[in-house]
Amino acid sequence: MKKLSIVLLILMVMMAAFANGAKEQATPSKSISLWTYPIGGWGDDAKVKALTDAFTAETGIKVEVQYLTYADGDDKVNTAIAAKQAPDLIMEGPERLVANWGAKGYLVDMADLLDAGDRAELNQATLKACLTADGKLYEYPLVMTAHCMAINLDAFKAAGADKYVNLTTRTWTTDDFIKAVDALYKYYKAPVGAVFCGGQGGDQGTRVLVNSLYGGTFTDAAHTKYTWDSPENVKALKQLYEMPGIVYDPAIAGGDEINLFRNGTFKMAFCWNIAQQPLNDQKTDAGEQIVFMSFPAQNGVAQLNGGIWGFGIFDNGDAEKIEWAKQFVKFMCDGPKTADAVKTANYFAVRDVAGGQDISKIWADDATMNEYNVLMQYLGDYYQVTTGWATARTCWWNMLQAVGAGNDIAASVAKFAADANAAAAAGK
Amino acid sequence: MAQIRKSPLTRRLRRQETVSSYLFLLPSLVFFLGFVILPMALCLFTSFFDSNLNATTPDRFIGLQNYAELWKDPVFIKGLKNTLIIVVVSVPVVTAFSLWIASAIYKMKEWMLSAFRCIFYLPVVTGSVAVTVVWKWMYNNYYGVLNYVFKGLGIIETNVNWLGNPSTALWCIIVILLTTSVGQPIVLYVSALSNVDTSLIEAGEVDGTTKFQNFWKIKWPQIMPTTLYIVVITTINSFQCFALIQLLTSGGPNNATQTVMYYIYYTAFKLYRFGYGNAMGIILALFIAALSAVQFYVAKER
Repeated sequence: MKKLSIVLLILMVMMAAFANGAKEQATPSKSISLWTYPIGGWGDDAKVKALTDAFTAETGIKVEVQYLTYADGDDKVNTAIAAKQAPDLIMEGPERLVANWGAKGYLVDMADLLDAGDRAELNQATLKACLTADGKLYEYPLVMTAHCMAINLDAFKAAGADKYVNLTTRTWTTDDFIKAVDALYKYYKAPVGAVFCGGQGGDQGTRVLVNSLYGGTFTDAAHTKYTWDSPENVKALKQLYEMPGIVYDPAIAGGDEINLFRNGTFKMAFCWNIAQQPLNDQKTDAGEQIVFMSFPAQNGVAQLNGGIWGFGIFDNGDAEKIEWAKQFVKFMCDGPKTADAVKTANYFAVRDVAGGQDISKIWADDATMNEYNVLMQYLGDYYQVTTGWATARTCWWNMLQAVGAGNDIAASVAKFAADANAAAAAGK
Repeated sequence: MAQIRKSPLTRRLRRQETVSSYLFLLPSLVFFLGFVILPMALCLFTSFFDSNLNATTPDRFIGLQNYAELWKDPVFIKGLKNTLIIVVVSVPVVTAFSLWIASAIYKMKEWMLSAFRCIFYLPVVTGSVAVTVVWKWMYNNYYGVLNYVFKGLGIIETNVNWLGNPSTALWCIIVILLTTSVGQPIVLYVSALSNVDTSLIEAGEVDGTTKFQNFWKIKWPQIMPTTLYIVVITTINSFQCFALIQLLTSGGPNNATQTVMYYIYYTAFKLYRFGYGNAMGIILALFIAALSAVQFYVAKER
């Protein structure tokens, strides 16, 4: 009797399994997976669902979304690649999609999605960053912005340092920056800003700060070599090290710096962009006015580091899914929902016309975005696609730690830049 | 002498028992092979390759090149030194502190003993991320409670960047490691001390032994298996210190808190050098195995 029960039970389980399989075969569903980093509202499930639902309604293709964080997103994607479980779609910037996963042969070339009209409509610098030297498109761009810095205007006024910033053009010179920090330090008797170097989070801020002070660069124009060992950069690192109002802090990264700026500890933040600006009504926790600024430069005009975000498609060997993924990319980046997709990201569109619609004025009714537009003219070279980027990035903050620890600046810079260039030469 | 013949029934029963024993073992065995033995074999295999997660350039066999490179890599050497410092400091401290606490509480009333066990075990069952976040706040250079208290007591004059200073960062990590490591040893020692044969102690006392002699000559040998277990487990945990480093310092400042375990992760997942990372993993495993073997040998000798 017991044996009979066991046999019956097994049969029932098998029948249920087969029935389920048959059901799945009877109603095939189209579905693709999207993994996205928290790019503005693209990290918010409610906002993203509205967009993917619209795509599903239009095409019948379901989109399963997984949200990544910058803390461990790369690890998850790399593990998925190694296990051959990569998603169909991924949303991030060229430094990951073009210079890393694309260059390593894991992404689909989407150049066939670009016709002559698209090539003309897209922002040229953005398109250049998304294309490889041999013309492969590993990222279809959706949005862009310029990374900048922010100041606590009320604190500046209290210390009499507001006279050093031009609030119309949002620019200041290197000399004015030094004087402002000095005035703030004398007033508050504590460091007012930090060269954070606890990790790679927000490191674009420290890169632009160092590069812009005396006109240094991070890479050469051809993106083949790291040039941060130049005398201009060494001079900037030395200048920052010698300023009592600025600390090299290896215990914090970009996110920590923003928190310390918001809670009033620091009076300026080097890790900032438009996504941060509207939060808390553009005020610190204590209600002081936050103002975004360009980075200081000798002539006042810094070359800001850009942020570009868009979609890449993993080549998982399924031609049908690749085709569906391409439909998704076109729908979001050059289709009826592009304006919503851009607004969800809370950045600027990389084109004025999408899907035949004018999207150049989607932020017309947003005062903050309009104001922020003043910085877009300072957008500099998008060098994050240089070979060896992953190594170079870690070399950068390790170098800052070495400088902050009091090591010889020129020697530290030379050593870490050499390591980064070795990685670039090896194509790693 | 007449040989006892086993009946066919006995043989069949024995075979059935053997088969069912293996069947019971099977699920665990599958997991053990799949998640321990196979990864170990793959780790060893990959360590002989230049494996870099690049679909366009296949993994290249390079023999022992990864192993040779390790000993020329200053970051690995620094990580190995730091790891050994963590092990050398934390293992004796955890063992001695746990034994001291357990000795002090194991004779207490049941409710008090339970309360103390709960208190000391709490950091073990609390998520490591939560523990780390609290410690990060305490160590904070700008508003951390540690600076506030130490300045109030006059121990320091200005704020100390505990995690940002190369001379203090590693010790800060060790302190956190100690608080999260003592819970289990205390519970184990309380149990072991409670099981010590009291008649031997009473006999010793009749013969005039001192408290120290009671401990050293009677209790210590009886709790030796527990001590061995604690020492081995703490050694392995200390060698594998990773979460604290990743969440607090990323190996910085200036590699002051770099450990082999974190460097393996960094090399594999940030620099995509899987072969090199695996070679480090093999070396770490050898270190742990060698040290554990020494500990077993010493304990056996005693």
